[in-house]
Amino acid sequence: MSVNQTSPALSRHFLYRKDVLAGLLFIAVAAIGLWASHDYPIGTTTRMGTGYVPRMLCWILLGLGAVVFAQGLRGGGSLERGRPLWRAMIFAPLSLLVFAELIAPFGVVMATIALVAVGALASRESRQLEVIAAAILLALLTVAIFVWGVGLPIPVWPEF
Amino acid sequence: MDFLANLGLGFGVALTPANLGFALIGCLVGTLVGVLPGIGPVATVAMLLPLTFHLEPVSGLIMLAGIFYGAQYGGSTTAILVNMPGETSSVVTCIDGHQMARNGRAGAALTVAALGSFFAGTVATLMIALFSPPLALVGQSFGAPEYFSLMAVGLIAAVVLAHGSIVKAVAMVLLGLLLGLVGTDGQTGGQRFTFGVTILSDGIGFVPLAIGIFGLGEVIANLVAPQQRRELVSSRISNLWLTKEEFRQAWPASVRGTLIGSVLGVLPGGGATLSAFAGYVLEKKVARDPSRFGKGAIEGVAGPESANNAGAQTSFIPMLTLGIPGNAVMALMIGALTIHGIQPGPQVMTERPALFWGMIASMWIGNVMLLVINLPMIGLWVQLLKVPYRQLYLAILLFSAIGVYTVNNNTFEVILTALFGIVGYIFIRLECEPAPLLLGFILGPLMEENLRRAMRISGGDPMIFLNRPISLGLLIAAALLLLVVALPAIRGKREEVFQEK
Repeated sequence: MSVNQTSPALSRHFLYRKDVLAGLLFIAVAAIGLWASHDYPIGTTTRMGTGYVPRMLCWILLGLGAVVFAQGLRGGGSLERGRPLWRAMIFAPLSLLVFAELIAPFGVVMATIALVAVGALASRESRQLEVIAAAILLALLTVAIFVWGVGLPIPVWPEF
Repeated sequence: MDFLANLGLGFGVALTPANLGFALIGCLVGTLVGVLPGIGPVATVAMLLPLTFHLEPVSGLIMLAGIFYGAQYGGSTTAILVNMPGETSSVVTCIDGHQMARNGRAGAALTVAALGSFFAGTVATLMIALFSPPLALVGQSFGAPEYFSLMAVGLIAAVVLAHGSIVKAVAMVLLGLLLGLVGTDGQTGGQRFTFGVTILSDGIGFVPLAIGIFGLGEVIANLVAPQQRRELVSSRISNLWLTKEEFRQAWPASVRGTLIGSVLGVLPGGGATLSAFAGYVLEKKVARDPSRFGKGAIEGVAGPESANNAGAQTSFIPMLTLGIPGNAVMALMIGALTIHGIQPGPQVMTERPALFWGMIASMWIGNVMLLVINLPMIGLWVQLLKVPYRQLYLAILLFSAIGVYTVNNNTFEVILTALFGIVGYIFIRLECEPAPLLLGFILGPLMEENLRRAMRISGGDPMIFLNRPISLGLLIAAALLLLVVALPAIRGKREEVFQEK
């Protein structure tokens, strides 16, 4: 993706720049890695211990993160304006968790309907009737493809 | 020569009714995925991978391979009719393909894309059959230092050929390598980065990682972005035949595209997308009248469409012969082989000849199927485009959930997927390419193992990588790649290639 030089986004605070944030992300991961691995035995180059390679990788990542961060300070694209869509970030992952929690006790039909119901909250454009139709259709398809077709050992209905 | 005997063995395996069925399912799913924007082959292969664990390894691989190259066929349909790439590898097909459709030549564009892809697929299958045995032979002489250097070249090439910032891509590789090391250290038994979570001592599964980053992350990003309007060329596709003039212009382009795609596919980091871009640039360069491009030049469809299919298929060569994945889908294939208890590498060809040659033969059969699936059934695929994304993403969420859950009926993997989904979305927002991360993730443990072995052989002397000729050659190649990309002139060209839209 090219960076639009005339974008008003450029005038925003430097913390919004993509490379600054990416650099900080890499630095944070490397720092956490170094902290977590501080007591891993390093060993010698001939006989490398548990910590040798991970710590080496973390140091390199730290360096690269710093380079990306510095590049970000010099310029580059900023995050697009507009509020992040929290509902997508929350409800899309949540729908998978709901499915996984419900499938064993309540069966795949209920779990599918619950996934569609929670998943539909992730989009601004969901329409009630379409969502109900999608839930029924997908529940049917799931049972047909995965239970009858592939023969996955998953319960279809709640077990009492 | 064993060549015919090998192919015979392969067709014997591929032509069993069950394997024909799996090839057909793979091609159908691949076409579907290719046609539908918003879901790519990486996510699909990751979602369906767990289902193949119940199958014979060869059947599973045949189906997964069908999805990958089937998507290249399907992607062109959307590009031509809707001016929206179904896959990233058909981005360039939009330019001239959609113009042809507007000029009333939609049928011809679809035909040339399908025939070009078929020709490319046939040639690429032959290339795989011809070049894999010698390459596997070379691979058998490799020791730990050579393997380490080879993987280093692979990762560096993946970075060079990724688009966007190179430093960021290298950082993504390192992130992948680190994620790959999570769990129990195979040599010392020590725990790494498990943060006291017992279940993490088995490591992070590649299915949750791939589905999370490539599937769920993509869904979140698509929901956040404003929906594009789909501009369907509604005029009926009446005539699928090419005129004599069109055929005369298209076939040399198709041959050139096949050649460049076949070569770029083998390179680590290569594959369908890069091949398509290169194919388009090449056609524009050799054209007598470049101004026709962008206005419906048939070469602009024939070249890249042949190139992307050739590249998709020859990218199997390093995976099958050396056990080195060149792109994200191949990384998943390596993971699939490992789960079936097959150690990917040069020995696969000699120890599992039925699997090796069966898969190659099935690729050609798959290409025949795709030709049949695509041209007569085009109307059906077009109907599918009318499904709006607000309904499609619910199905993607469901298939992701089922895919992850069925790996081993375990909620923890689903939690990981959800987390990786959010991480994947963040990567997209920050323009960090996730494909190098997946390659690093798959190669991480292998690289560490080979590094350790090499160091034990040499007594801790890193010069071992430079003293062995093959290893030295590979490292020089890696250094050259990095150097070349650092040159300003080439860097400009690289950006130009990726910006061609």
